[in-house]
Amino acid sequence: MHTEAPQLTVTRVFDAPRELVYQAFTDPEHLAQWWGPTGHSLPRDEIECDVRPGGHQRWTEVSADDPGIHIHIHIDLTDVADGTLLAGVMQVGGRLQEGVEPFRTRFRFEFHDEAGGRTRLEIRQWLAEHLAAPSEGGWGEAFAKLDAALARAQADLEVS
Amino acid sequence: MAGTDQLSAVFAALADPTRRTILAQLAERDATVTELTEPLPISMPAVSRHLKVLERAALISRTRTGKWRGSRLEAAPLREAADWIERYRRFWDSSLTRLDAHLAAVQAAAEKEL
Repeated sequence: MHTEAPQLTVTRVFDAPRELVYQAFTDPEHLAQWWGPTGHSLPRDEIECDVRPGGHQRWTEVSADDPGIHIHIHIDLTDVADGTLLAGVMQVGGRLQEGVEPFRTRFRFEFHDEAGGRTRLEIRQWLAEHLAAPSEGGWGEAFAKLDAALARAQADLEVS
Repeated sequence: MAGTDQLSAVFAALADPTRRTILAQLAERDATVTELTEPLPISMPAVSRHLKVLERAALISRTRTGKWRGSRLEAAPLREAADWIERYRRFWDSSLTRLDAHLAAVQAAAEKEL
């Protein structure tokens, strides 16, 4: 079995308690204050947060500098552990920056306690939209299935 | 930038260590299936299957000289995959810097209220 590393890993430590950092990801008032690059903002009435396993989060990102940009973020949450974990699939669509196509990414945000009342945030992202939610078998199994599916698709093409 | 399907296929293709080894070999020079199989502990048909996955992701192209069928590395999809990662890293970098400032402001405001 091959366990696969995410395509993107980002770790950052914040000088704030874990509950607050988690809240920044799950509370519309907080999200509107920081999500996106400088110059981007989130219209408050377009933010929806239904944070629970099977729940979702939606918002729109606009840019003061570029009126052409109108990004829709659609998150479907698969795993949620209050204050410690958010995981699911994020869809980025709408009118994106020049040269960027809409895409989907599986993500996992973990919130860990650090000494001195600080919080370590670990972000992992996998770009693999064809994958079903990994079960107990995890990513290795999921990737093995994908390999098999790709091989089958290729074989079908040859037969036809 | 290619669409998500292409990018997903590239990342899926890169997810396998054998295919990464094959790509590394092809990065040095074009090679036939026989040449690619030599250093690997798997059969030629297995290598052929991996090559099909790589070809489908457009990471390699197949060439033919006489009766020899070779494989050639295509760099563009690899660069796109790297670009995607780089763009997302920049996104998080700027967002998390804003988050850091936001958290500091929220805590300062809370302290003031006490």
